[in-house]
Amino acid sequence: MIARIWLTFKQHRFETIAITVVCVVLTAAALIEAYRLSSLNVPISCFNGRYESSGIGTPTYSAGAHCQALVDSFMGLQSGLPMNLVRPMLLLAPLLAGIVLGAPLVAREIEQGTAPLSWALSGSRRRWLLGKVLAGVVLLVPLMLAVGLAAEVLEGALDPGVDTHAAFQNYLGRGSFDLFWALAAFAGTVTLGTLFGRTMPALIVAFVVCVFVRVAWDPGMARIVLRPMAVEQTGSNQQFGVFYGGGPGIIGVTIEPTPLIEPTPLPEPSGSLGSPEPSGSPAPDGSASDVTAFTPFWVQIDLYSYTQVFLDGKPFYGDPYSLPGYQMQFDANGNLIQSDPSTMPNWVDYAIPGSQYWLVVALESGLLLLGSLFCAAVAFVWVDRRRPY
Amino acid sequence: MGADAGASTATAALVAHGLSKRFRKKVALDSVDLSVPAGSITALVGPNGAGKTTLIRVCMAFERPNAGRVEVDGVDPWRHRSEALRRVGYVPQAPAVYRGLSVEDHLAMARSLHSGFDADYARRRLDQLGIPLDQRADTLSGGQGAQLGLAIALGTRAKVLLLDEPLANLDPLARREFIQVLLDAVRSEGSTALLSSHIVTDVEDACDRLAILGGGKVRLDCPLEEARRTHRLTDADSPPPGATAVGSFLGKGGQKVMTLWRLAAAGADGSDGQSAAPETTSLEDVVLGYLAAGRGTAGLQFN
Ligand SMILES: Nc1ncnc2c1ncn2[C@@H]1O[C@H](COP(=O)(O)OP(=O)(O)OP(=O)(O)O)[C@@H](O)[C@H]1O
Ligand SMILES: [Mg+2]
Repeated sequence: MIARIWLTFKQHRFETIAITVVCVVLTAAALIEAYRLSSLNVPISCFNGRYESSGIGTPTYSAGAHCQALVDSFMGLQSGLPMNLVRPMLLLAPLLAGIVLGAPLVAREIEQGTAPLSWALSGSRRRWLLGKVLAGVVLLVPLMLAVGLAAEVLEGALDPGVDTHAAFQNYLGRGSFDLFWALAAFAGTVTLGTLFGRTMPALIVAFVVCVFVRVAWDPGMARIVLRPMAVEQTGSNQQFGVFYGGGPGIIGVTIEPTPLIEPTPLPEPSGSLGSPEPSGSPAPDGSASDVTAFTPFWVQIDLYSYTQVFLDGKPFYGDPYSLPGYQMQFDANGNLIQSDPSTMPNWVDYAIPGSQYWLVVALESGLLLLGSLFCAAVAFVWVDRRRPY
Repeated sequence: MGADAGASTATAALVAHGLSKRFRKKVALDSVDLSVPAGSITALVGPNGAGKTTLIRVCMAFERPNAGRVEVDGVDPWRHRSEALRRVGYVPQAPAVYRGLSVEDHLAMARSLHSGFDADYARRRLDQLGIPLDQRADTLSGGQGAQLGLAIALGTRAKVLLLDEPLANLDPLARREFIQVLLDAVRSEGSTALLSSHIVTDVEDACDRLAILGGGKVRLDCPLEEARRTHRLTDADSPPPGATAVGSFLGKGGQKVMTLWRLAAAGADGSDGQSAAPETTSLEDVVLGYLAAGRGTAGLQFN
């Protein structure tokens, strides 16, 4: 089998070398970017500041000038060109690697007429395919683990103070997921190549399918698979409230982000102006300014959060804005008449807690792996039935 | 045909029973009965599109028959593919090689796929032909590539060799050498070969049996010597007694239309009982007669 794997690499040496080079360069680039971020050594407390504007002149940073300089250079790196090249590539690399390696694996043998030679020698086409697929797996596993690890390190550097193994930020684009995406793309593309017997069509269709699946995965998972795991966000249950901003007619709903993973208590930033509120905790007063308040970007945001409308304690699936309790009514003096609470919609936020991180990872990785195995099974069945030309 | 197949089934290395293969409406093989005796080298001859390649592909389980079956060394390749293919060495028509892999890599590949592959044997053969083992296979000449395909097929040391026009790309010397190798392999290893070819002189040199396919049917299946003995070529107007016309074609020089006759089974040796050496017809004329038959009278319409 080792000889088969080696010969498969040789046979597909262009793809093998290209994928290896891209992955190695990408891994190095991600690690370098992570290093540049973390070598700034921005104290966590500095991120807790906010730009405050009195309305006149440049906004001042509440955590102090020293912090401002550090955070500015941090943000500069974060939005710089290298980062904007590396991060999308980290997302694409697993799919591209799987597709580029998978498309020609069987299809090229059929296109170039070498399949009859191998199939005549091997007797068992499945064994023949197994050798080739194993070669792909042997190549993808170390490369994708390296890319995934680098993506993980970079994510940690981008979100200092957040435990990347308890947060869902970009979790599908780092760690072991890179490997599972690559394997799924690989298996799917091998199958398309086996069905089509043509490399280019397999490549193109695989790319379209992969992009679609990758984009649809997040909402699909959240709505269907992971929803039962969501729990009500503490303190998020809030009665519909109407407030007046700049006069009648402007309606806002106060939603206070409440992290499920409590960030480690922050030390007071040195030289702070005033006392910044601890992140995530509700603003002391429910004033209108809180709605527009700048939420520090590093605060844990739970993915898969969704909002369910309740009406009188029961889930309500209609249009909450048409409910009578939502309509504002005024008496003759222009004062707001309080609606009957049972006719007022009630928004409740749900999210999956970060403590479930590994469970979610295991579940979704398992699904990807299952999909890969299913695709591979189709390829193994079909290779036995199809013509070698 | 029929009698022959019945007699030799027990020792046949390759048998086809009522084998039919259709591609959509196109009938490639129409209830073919063929038996290739063990230890023989059988030439499979027929016009373009006669179904030679299709027959060989069915034996390789590349095509599924619509009716009937084949047995390779007693094994049905469609049902027991691995067992059947283990007994077969195969050279496809216009064999392809792996681009970017060296000749040696091809041998390594064959070894890794076929447990019984004799790489040393294949290497020796290629050495004799002066084909460098480290050369990339896609840079070999057409004939050298064919030799590589052949070396791999022979390296399997298979009992049955299915060779689809293996000689088409070879120079005359290489053809002669190949035929010698084939004869040696069959004699020393007791292999059997079915070899499709359009080149009658090669068929004469290499083969001891002739099977002619035409329009998806077996038109003739007998030893070479019998084919020569049981056919006559004459003018269209002077048929030998009791003979049936096979086909007419322009004779050498293009002056006269000649007709091939198949002699009645009773006097099958064609001798009139007086001459000491039986009269024979050249194999080329026999083949031409059957090819012409496949085209109706088209054989008359060259020019
Ligand atoms: N895959 C296929 N799809 C459709 N038709 C096919 C296919 N393979 C073969 N045929 C048809 O079947 C018939 C027999 O083809 P085959 O290749 O067996 O002929 P052949 O005797 O090998 O001819 P040649 O001497 O030119 O190699 C032809 O008419 C061919 O067009
Ligand atoms: Mg052919």
